[in-house]
Amino acid sequence: MRATAETIDIQEILNRKARRKDLLRNIIPFSGLVFIFVFFTVVTQGKMLSSSNLTNLISQCFSVTIVAAGASFVYAHGGMDFSIGPSCGVAQLVAALIITRSDLPIWLAIAACILVTVVTSTMVGATSAYLRVPVFVVSLCMRAICSGILTVGIAESDIAIDYARFSGFNSEVLKAVVLLVVIGVSYYLFEYTSLGKYEKAMGGNVVTAFQAGVVVKRTQIAAYTLMGLCVGIAGFFQLTRTAGVTGGSGSGLEFDIMVAIVLGGFPMMGGSAARLRSVIIGALTITILSNGLVLWGLDYLLVNGVKGLLFLIIVAITYDRTNQNQMNFTSA
Amino acid sequence: MLTVKKISKAFGPTRALIDVDMEIRRGEIRGLIGENGSGKSTLASIIAGAQFADSGSFELKGKPYAPRNMVGAQNHGVSMIIQEMGTIPGITVAANIFTGRLEEFTRFGFINMKAINRRAAELLQEIGAGDIHPETLINRLNFEERKIVEIARAMVANPDLLIVDETTTALAQRGRELLYRLIRRLHEENKSVLFISHDLHELMSICDTITVLRDGIVIDTLEKEEISVDRMRSLMVGRELSGSYFRSDYDGSYSDEVVLEAKRVTSGILEEFNLELHKGEILGVGGLSDCGMHELGRVLFGIDKPITGSVTLKKNNVQVKDPHVATKNNMAYVSKERDREAIILNASIKENVVLPSLRQLRKVLGLITRRSETNLTNKQIETLRIKCRNGKQICNELSGGNKQKVVFAKWLGKESDILILDCPTRGIDVGVKAAMYKLMTELKAQGKSIVMISEELPELIGMSDRILLLKNGRLQAELRRSPDISEKQIIQYII
Repeated sequence: MRATAETIDIQEILNRKARRKDLLRNIIPFSGLVFIFVFFTVVTQGKMLSSSNLTNLISQCFSVTIVAAGASFVYAHGGMDFSIGPSCGVAQLVAALIITRSDLPIWLAIAACILVTVVTSTMVGATSAYLRVPVFVVSLCMRAICSGILTVGIAESDIAIDYARFSGFNSEVLKAVVLLVVIGVSYYLFEYTSLGKYEKAMGGNVVTAFQAGVVVKRTQIAAYTLMGLCVGIAGFFQLTRTAGVTGGSGSGLEFDIMVAIVLGGFPMMGGSAARLRSVIIGALTITILSNGLVLWGLDYLLVNGVKGLLFLIIVAITYDRTNQNQMNFTSA
Repeated sequence: MLTVKKISKAFGPTRALIDVDMEIRRGEIRGLIGENGSGKSTLASIIAGAQFADSGSFELKGKPYAPRNMVGAQNHGVSMIIQEMGTIPGITVAANIFTGRLEEFTRFGFINMKAINRRAAELLQEIGAGDIHPETLINRLNFEERKIVEIARAMVANPDLLIVDETTTALAQRGRELLYRLIRRLHEENKSVLFISHDLHELMSICDTITVLRDGIVIDTLEKEEISVDRMRSLMVGRELSGSYFRSDYDGSYSDEVVLEAKRVTSGILEEFNLELHKGEILGVGGLSDCGMHELGRVLFGIDKPITGSVTLKKNNVQVKDPHVATKNNMAYVSKERDREAIILNASIKENVVLPSLRQLRKVLGLITRRSETNLTNKQIETLRIKCRNGKQICNELSGGNKQKVVFAKWLGKESDILILDCPTRGIDVGVKAAMYKLMTELKAQGKSIVMISEELPELIGMSDRILLLKNGRLQAELRRSPDISEKQIIQYII
């Protein structure tokens, strides 16, 4: 190759451009988080940082972050789950019933709460894997089933539990510890074990993963089970905080997770670019955003509308369109 | 006819074309050659309006020419037959041919299908494919016939410059002759053809002049009397290649030990097929594309489950029921569909290479360290000489040959003993091909076993210890390694 000074220069410029693009992709979600935090601190004249609001923020970000950590395994292989909100509600219902209607120990209520979401999520993953139905459809069905159960469960009246009895679960220290453990374990599984690597490989090209010996179905189901586990944990803490179950228990969780995924720069269709930290950053961003919007004076009822709009904008900007069915002229 | 001035194009950090200058005369048949990734398809698709150049300009028939899309280019008299499959399923042959030009047949919002069908029939007749009916659904046609429909589509606007991008690899004898006839006709009508192909002999017999691209740069343009296969080959690769790159020995021996056995396997077109693979053997499997040999590869690796019969690994008497079992027992499979099946394009080289080896890299608590992954990858990059910045580079940015090396790297890194290779040198250039053949010879020497499924007869003859020839899903002949096997001899069994 005739490597003149000029061609080397151009190559250098192109390399620099590519590096800058990579860097930007990594930095944008993080700087978005910082920006939103600073923005709302300023426009709410510091209300954002008041101790009562910080407590609020911690418990709000607690459930979204925990569930997002679990959901990252599902989204990494290109899956999704619309049922986690209602199934989280059902889990809380079951736990509340055990607490109010029986003398069984608390740990059993916790176990039941987690078991419910583990079972529903695993069922979503397994049904889709073994019956070869798009997970989108299966999870919508599961969502309807869970909503139905929740509606029947609270048909007579909302169920209240004794707040004081569970105040221990509302301590910030306990929540911080649980949060760190969940993030730590997820991070390890996601970045340093074959499970996370298989999920990403499946998101990249499921045929290649299959031919490389990955047991595709089992790996897919494992992701849903893990997510169910996280939803259950988050569900029980939510129950103790709100001290009761209503028709709205758990609702909106699946959407918050989806927004967190895109805000953090996690690829919607999964694959190699998936990073656990993206999900965590996204979860923090969406929490601060919802919280900040309300503090700023936006009607609570409008927050979901704003999130929807934001979701659409971010997806439109970042969605990876290269794998779509279009004629490929670029092959060299 | 066409003047190309200082055309440059980059994909991300990869420079596909660098200041390319070229001139195609009226009535000229110009060949365009180069290794994979040299930029020939990119240049062709820019001329045909499918992509845009970053800089540079064209002149067509003396006027500035800057096509906005492929139909625009066609209206200027430039048509291209594309390398990849380019027909739209679910609609008729005629609708495919006139895609993007339906306005010409539309009156008051209604499409005159009769007129379209009539025009399509005329067009097919003209190019010598009158037997393809314009109203047939495109899905009913076989691969070759669909390619012919694409040729017809390129001829719709009666082009002054026809670009043929590696079309002949997809065509059998009939389609090739049809295309050659067409090229000769254009030549006689004083129109031009830009012909891209990997087949150097074909280029030599068809082209008046040949332009050689390497790494996006025009290396040389050969006039008719300068053209020779050796000359083209060394210009493409950039160094002299020794005459033959197949195995030099004719010692077709291997161990008596059977490592893999297929018994009465029925799957797809394959019927009650039996096969024994020995330790240290290169077993060639040949035939026409739809003879069942690709199905055979898939069944051997457990990707497809056979309807009857079984595939057994003799060492532990394990039945290969899926790729998981296969990989666990040190089997490897290189799919014919590289980009679709064998490689994760959006992942890094490292992620691809370590994928099948992750189970072995596990330490306490399932830990897989970054270092173990990097070491494995770097070792393979070095031994296979994969051209890349480092293991973190995304595979999409690599050339075809280097992608194929990555596919090999993942199985070599796992130290596989039994390799099922389906068209391992498909669409890769001579330089990488030579490396692959050398590698296979080395693997054989190490006592590994290879099933090499191939549509290329010279490769089967040149590499195999034994050749199984298939036709319509059944074994037609079994040939032992010998210098006397000729392509003619093989063809009589498979056609």
